[in-house]
Amino acid sequence: MKTLADLKKIREKAQEDMKLRGGNVRIKIVVGMGTSGIAMGAREVMKTFLEEISNRNLTDVLVTQTGEKGLSSMEPVVDLIEEGKAKVTYGNMNPDKVKKVVVEHIVNGRVVSDYVVATGD
Amino acid sequence: MQDISLHLLDIIENSIRARAKNIKVRVIHNVAKNSLRLIVEDDGTGMDTDTLAMAQNPFYTSKSEREKKVGLGIPLFKQNAELTDGCFNMTSQPGFGTVLTVEFTLDHIDRMPLGNLRATLLGAIIGHPEADFNIILIYREKGKEQSFHFETAAIKEELGDIPLTYPDVIEYIDQSLKEGIQNTNMEDV
Repeated sequence: MKTLADLKKIREKAQEDMKLRGGNVRIKIVVGMGTSGIAMGAREVMKTFLEEISNRNLTDVLVTQTGEKGLSSMEPVVDLIEEGKAKVTYGNMNPDKVKKVVVEHIVNGRVVSDYVVATGD
Repeated sequence: MQDISLHLLDIIENSIRARAKNIKVRVIHNVAKNSLRLIVEDDGTGMDTDTLAMAQNPFYTSKSEREKKVGLGIPLFKQNAELTDGCFNMTSQPGFGTVLTVEFTLDHIDRMPLGNLRATLLGAIIGHPEADFNIILIYREKGKEQSFHFETAAIKEELGDIPLTYPDVIEYIDQSLKEGIQNTNMEDV
């Protein structure tokens, strides 16, 4: 059973981490969770991002969900937002593509152009 | 939607868009009563009587034309519940929030599976740090009741400025949900 005492340990560890690297969020991931995105598999896309972050111990990324973005034919849609860079929107995502984006884009800093459906605002 | 928990996710997203700060989700798996019931209660902007009626119409959406053409989320959920001789009820008051109650007949042949409740809840909780979730899962059969209660406010308080996307926190929430879902027999419903 998980308890609040476990959380205290996590907090202490996380605070140490943050001291070391300054606590900045390097990349923000935004998963489109509108009705059509959900119907097309956005939940599994979100879940795979969370699994990858947890398994690879990525402490400088943030994941959030947002609603419909008007790109229904390309759902599930994911935005990757990095400070100082143009926003990259990936479309028609699935768990395998998410894994590739995590390795290529988030870890190695290379945009996976095959999956990109839009850039900028 | 292939399963009930995808509908649940869709409803939670509606609550978020209505700027809810507190979202209460109850799932009651009642074998004795042959029912599977979901209740989602939020403190978002709420709807007046007209909007509430229109929200159940497939061609109504609160979003602008540019964003979206139809609003199928609520009507499809309603249809899927009614297909099982269940019921769908939505009440709301502007400024106070919305309560949605959906009941499925457990053993009805047309009832879709509950599906991956764990991924639904994990994604919603972590994807929306701006809202607090209060999740209650209840399993009932003759003479037996098991329940699971999970509140994110206490977790956030304990974490302070550590984000919910911190790897160990994801793991913590995921494991808690997993245990709760197992203990209340919500895995293969």
